[in-house]
Amino acid sequence: MDGGIHRRDFLKFVAASGMAAACDMASQPPERLISSVLPPPEGIIPGVATWYATACRECPAGCGMLVRTREGRAVKAEGNPQHPINQGRLCAMGQASLQGLYNPDRIRQPWMRDRSGRLQPISWERAEQILARRIAALRKEGKAAGITFLTGHLPGSFDRFIDLWLGALGSTRRFVQEAFSHEALLEASRLAFGRPEVPHYVFEEARYLVNFGADFLGSWLSPVGHARAFGEMRRCREGGVGRFVHIEPRLSLTGANADQWIPIRPGTEGMMALGMAREVLALRAAALPADEVATLQAFLAAYDPESVSRRTEVPADTIRQLAREFAQAAPSLALGGGTALLSRSSTATLVAIHLLNYVAGNLGKTVRFGPAENVGRISPYRALRSLAAEMARGEVPLLLVHGANPVFTLPPSTGFPAALARVPFVVSFSSFPDETALRAHLVLPDHTGFEGWGDLESRTGVYSLMQPVMQPLFDTKATGDVLLSVARQVDPNLASPFRWASFPEYLQESWREIQQRMAPGEDVETFWEEALRRGGAWYEVAAEEVRLSPEALRIPFEEPTFSGAAPEGFYLIAYPSTLLFDGRGTNKPWLQEVSDPMTKVVWNAWVEIHPQAADRLGIAQGDLVAVTSPYGRIELPAYLSTGVRPDVVAIPIGQGHEAYGRYAAGRGASPLPLLPPEPEEPSGGFPWLSVRVTLARTGRRAPLVILQGSSRQFDRGFAQAIPLAELRALQGTRRRAEGVPSGAAPRPGLPSLPDIYEPHPHPEHRWGMAIDLQRCTGCAACMVACYAENNLPAVGEEECARGREMSWIFIERYHGETMIASREGMSAGQRPDPPTLPGGVQHPDVRFLPMLCQHCDNAPCEPVCPVYATYHNDEGLNIQIYNRCVGTRYCSNNCPYKVRRFNWFDSTWADPLPLQLNPDVSVRSAGVMEKCTFCIQRIRDAKDRAKDEERWVRDGEVAPACVQTCPTGALVFGDLKDPQSQVSQLRRDPRGYHVLFGLNTHSAITYLKKIQL
Amino acid sequence: MALGMILLATCTLRRQAAAPIQPIAFSHKTHAGTYGIPCLYCHVYARRSTVAGVPSVQACFNCHKVIGLDQPEVLKVLNHWNKKEPIPWIKVHDLPDFVYFSHKRHVLKGVVCQTCHGTVQRMERVRRVSSLEMGWCVDCHIERGASRDCPVCHK
Repeated sequence: MDGGIHRRDFLKFVAASGMAAACDMASQPPERLISSVLPPPEGIIPGVATWYATACRECPAGCGMLVRTREGRAVKAEGNPQHPINQGRLCAMGQASLQGLYNPDRIRQPWMRDRSGRLQPISWERAEQILARRIAALRKEGKAAGITFLTGHLPGSFDRFIDLWLGALGSTRRFVQEAFSHEALLEASRLAFGRPEVPHYVFEEARYLVNFGADFLGSWLSPVGHARAFGEMRRCREGGVGRFVHIEPRLSLTGANADQWIPIRPGTEGMMALGMAREVLALRAAALPADEVATLQAFLAAYDPESVSRRTEVPADTIRQLAREFAQAAPSLALGGGTALLSRSSTATLVAIHLLNYVAGNLGKTVRFGPAENVGRISPYRALRSLAAEMARGEVPLLLVHGANPVFTLPPSTGFPAALARVPFVVSFSSFPDETALRAHLVLPDHTGFEGWGDLESRTGVYSLMQPVMQPLFDTKATGDVLLSVARQVDPNLASPFRWASFPEYLQESWREIQQRMAPGEDVETFWEEALRRGGAWYEVAAEEVRLSPEALRIPFEEPTFSGAAPEGFYLIAYPSTLLFDGRGTNKPWLQEVSDPMTKVVWNAWVEIHPQAADRLGIAQGDLVAVTSPYGRIELPAYLSTGVRPDVVAIPIGQGHEAYGRYAAGRGASPLPLLPPEPEEPSGGFPWLSVRVTLARTGRRAPLVILQGSSRQFDRGFAQAIPLAELRALQGTRRRAEGVPSGAAPRPGLPSLPDIYEPHPHPEHRWGMAIDLQRCTGCAACMVACYAENNLPAVGEEECARGREMSWIFIERYHGETMIASREGMSAGQRPDPPTLPGGVQHPDVRFLPMLCQHCDNAPCEPVCPVYATYHNDEGLNIQIYNRCVGTRYCSNNCPYKVRRFNWFDSTWADPLPLQLNPDVSVRSAGVMEKCTFCIQRIRDAKDRAKDEERWVRDGEVAPACVQTCPTGALVFGDLKDPQSQVSQLRRDPRGYHVLFGLNTHSAITYLKKIQL
Repeated sequence: MALGMILLATCTLRRQAAAPIQPIAFSHKTHAGTYGIPCLYCHVYARRSTVAGVPSVQACFNCHKVIGLDQPEVLKVLNHWNKKEPIPWIKVHDLPDFVYFSHKRHVLKGVVCQTCHGTVQRMERVRRVSSLEMGWCVDCHIERGASRDCPVCHK
C-alpha cells in the first residue's frame, strides 16, 4: 500500500485521537472532528459498533466472549451465544474484564531495575537484549537447565509454545500455577476410575443435587456454565423442580441457592458421602454387578448412619432420607470441591463422593468422563512448594513469570516471597504492577487478552480463539513475540526450531492441526476465518464408560487433622471471593464497588463469625478482630452471620494486596498468611481447610460499608416465595380456567385496585421485564453489566458509606426470619440458639431480589418533578431527561422502590478508563438524577435495525445489559403489548407478583416467586 | 445575574465559532458546487451511520496526487499524507454531548443535507446556518410529524 502504511493502522490513529478527545474534555472549544489518515478497514463504520469474537481470560473457565468496539476501542464485553461453555452469558468478572484493559495502573512499557533498586522504563530493544544476554551467559555456564518458567493456566498454543521455547534452551522446568487448583479431584478420579480428570458435571439433567462444599455458582471450575445449567435444573417444569441440598459448614453464595443447607462438621464430608453411599447401595444393589456389590457392601459396612451421624453431626434420619431421595431421583448428582472441602483428607473425601455417584448410577449421565475440564496441566501445589525451596537454596538462576502472581496467591508459609529474593534474575510479563512484578528485575508487559492473539482449550473438544479487538493501548508486546526475538538473539542456530516469524503465525499453524482433526476435508483458510468469526471451534465429546477401580476401595475415609489451638479454636474457611476470585479482580473499581452477594460489603474484607461465638468473645459487628493461627496473624472487621457454624469462621480471599494498583493496594487482609505450608497427601494439593484459629478483640473499630440496611422484609413481601404444593394447586385452577375465553380476566394472583388515572395508551410497545426469583442466584453479573453499559461511576468506599453508590440495578439479599432472629435486634442474653429445622439441618431461605426502576405506569416519581424531567413515554418507559433535570431529588424521595440515584459530583475516570465509556449513553454531570432506562439505547438500536429492514422488533431482540448477561436466564425482557412474547407469558405465570403491589404503581416488572421445596 | 453573564458569554462563544477558520482552506464551493461532487462521495457514512464521516486524508490524496498540485492548500493535504497525520478539522456543527443525532435516519427519510447544513455547495468556508438548538429541531419534527419523545435524541 502507498507509503508503507496499512489499512488496519486506521485503528491506531483513531484510538490515539479518541484518547486525546477523552483526555481533553476539560478544555471545551474548539471541538475537533475525529478524522483519520486512512479510511477504516472494510466492514468498520464510524458510529456503528463492530463485534469481535474472542475468549475471556479472567478465570480458567474459558468462556467465549464477544467484544463490542466503537471507533477502534472496546466498549463492552458480552458472552458469545455460540460458545458451548457459557452460551452468551458472562459473570461479573468477565463483564469487568474491560477495566483490566483500561486499567490506569497498567504497566505501559518495559521496566528494568536500576542500581538503586528502582524499576525504570527502558526500550523493548534494550529489554530483550538484557534477557538474551542473561540466557546466553547461563548457557555458557551450563546452567540453562535451571531456567524456570512459571505461568498461569492458559491451556492451548501459548502453553505449548513456552514448552518449546524452554526446551530449545535446554530446560524442562515449567510450572503452571493457579490459586484454586484441583489436585485432589484429579487424584480421586484416578483412584476411583483410573482417569486423572475433572469430569464434566451435567447439572441440567440432574433431578437431585447434593453438593459437598463446591461454590459452583460463584468461583468453582466454570461458574457461568454451571449457572446456566443449574438454571435449567431449577426451572419450574412439568416433571418438577430439581432439588438441591448443600452440605458445607458455611453458607456460600451457592449454598444460599439450596433448598436445604446442612452445616456439617468441617472435614467430615467424606464420611457423610460414604454413609449415603451405603444407604443408596442397599436400595440400588440390583442395578450393579453382583460381585461389585459384595465388595462395596464390605467396604461401606462401617459407615452406618448412626456412626456417621456421630462424626458429622448430621442426624442419622437426615442421612437416610437424603440417601433415599438421592437414589430415587435418577439421575442425581453429587459433587464436591472448593476450599471449604479441601481438608487434609480431601482425596479420600472426593473418592467417597465419586463412589456415591457410582452406586447411584450417575456416571455417564450427570458425571461424564471424556469431555473433561482441562485443568490437568496445572502444577500440583506440592511442586510449587518444592520450587520455592529450590529458589531459596539458590538453585534457580532465572525465573520467568507470566499470568501468575505467586507472591500473593501462594501462602506466605511456603516462603515464596523470601525465596524469590534469592533468585538472581526474575522476569515478569505481567500487565499490572502486582506483588510479583514489583519484585522482578525485568518487567516485559504482555498485551491484555483484548490486544493479543491466543487460544484456549478449556474443555476437551472446545477450542476458543482469541484475537485482538483493538490496537495495543500502550507500548506492550506479545510475550510469544518477545520469546521468539530473545531466542534469536541468544543464538541464531537455536532459533531453527522456531520457523515462525511471529507468535500469531505459530498459532495459525497449530490451528491447522485442529483443522486436520476436526474437519480434514475443509479448506484451511475457510476454517480459520470461520473460527475467527465464531470465536473458536468445538465438537461434541461423548461420555466414555468408566469402571470402578478396586483401588478406590483401599482408601478408607479418615478424619482430617487440623493445626492450631483446639478445642477453643475456630475452624478457618478461607474462600474465593465471588467478585475478586483469587484477588485478580481487586484492581477493577466495578468489582470493588458491586457489593459481595452474600454480605453486601464493598471495598473490603471481613471475618464471618457466628453471633453466638461473637457474644462469647464480646465481639460486635465492625469490631476489628485479630485472627491468629500457628502460621500467622491478621486483623479484619467482624461480620456477624448465622451463615457459618458457631465453631467456624470464614474469610474471603481477594483483598489484602500490598500492591496491584490504586484500587487494590492496602485494603483489608488476605487469609493466606494463616494457612500451613504442607500439601495434602496423596494428591499434593493445598489443604485450604486445615487450621483452627483464635479470635481476639483489638479494641479498635473498623466499620464495614454494607449496602443493605436490613436483611428483613418487615412483612412487606418484597421477595416472595411459594411452596411447591401451593403452586401446583394454582396451576391446576389455571388450567381449568384457561378453557374459558376471557380476554379481560384480571391477572392471576394480582387483584386489580381502583385507579383514578386514565391508563396510558402505549400504541406500539410496552416494554417490560420478568424476573424469576427461582433462577436468580445473586451472582451480581447484571450489576457489573449495568455499570459497563451505562457509564456508571464507581464512587469509592467513603461515598458508598454515605449511600451515594450509583448502581441502577441492585440485588437485594433477604434472609428468612429464621436466619435473622439470632443476628439483629436482640441483646446477648435474649438471643435464641441458632434457629434450625429438626436435627441441625437448616433451610437457608436466602432470597435474592434484583431491584431496578420498575417503569411504573403510575410512577410516583413523575408527578412530583417540578420541571417535567421525568415522564412516562408511549412505550411504557419511565424516562429521565438529564439535560432538563435540576436536581430537586423530589422524585427519589417519592420513589417507593428507592432505585433513583443522584449525582453528587461530576464523575471522574482515571485515564485511560474513559476510553471504555459507551458512546451511546450520556455521561451525567453533578446535580442530575439518574436511574435504570431499560437500556433505552439498545431499544432504540433494535428499532433502528428493524426500521432499516422494514419489519417489527422481534421478541428477544432487545436485551438490556443485565438481561443479556444473566447466567441463569432469570431476567427476561420484551414487549408486553405482544401477548405471545416470552415476557407476556411470564407475566401471566401463577407465580407472578409485583413488589409493593398495594401502592398500585402498575409496575412493568413482574417478579416470579421463588419455589419452596 | 452573574450566571446570566456566563451563559451569554458561552452563547456568544458558540456563535463566534459558526464559521471557524480551518487548518486547510477547503472549499465546498469548488468541490460540491463547481465540480458537482455529491455530498456522499466524501461523507460516505451518512446513509449508514449516526455520523456522516469526515473523509480520510487518503480520500483527498486519491484525487490530489494528480489534481491541483500547484495550489498551496492542496500541498498542505499532501504534507499531511506524507507525514501520515490526520487533518485537525474544526467541527462546525457541534451538538452537546447529551444529544444523539442520527444522519442515517434523517437521510433515509429523504431530508436533504441542505435542510440543516445550508447551501454548503455555495460556501467557500463552511458556516453554520442553523441554530442547532432544540427548538429548531423540534419545529421541524412537528412540521414533519416526527416523534417528539425525549429519548429520540436524549439517551
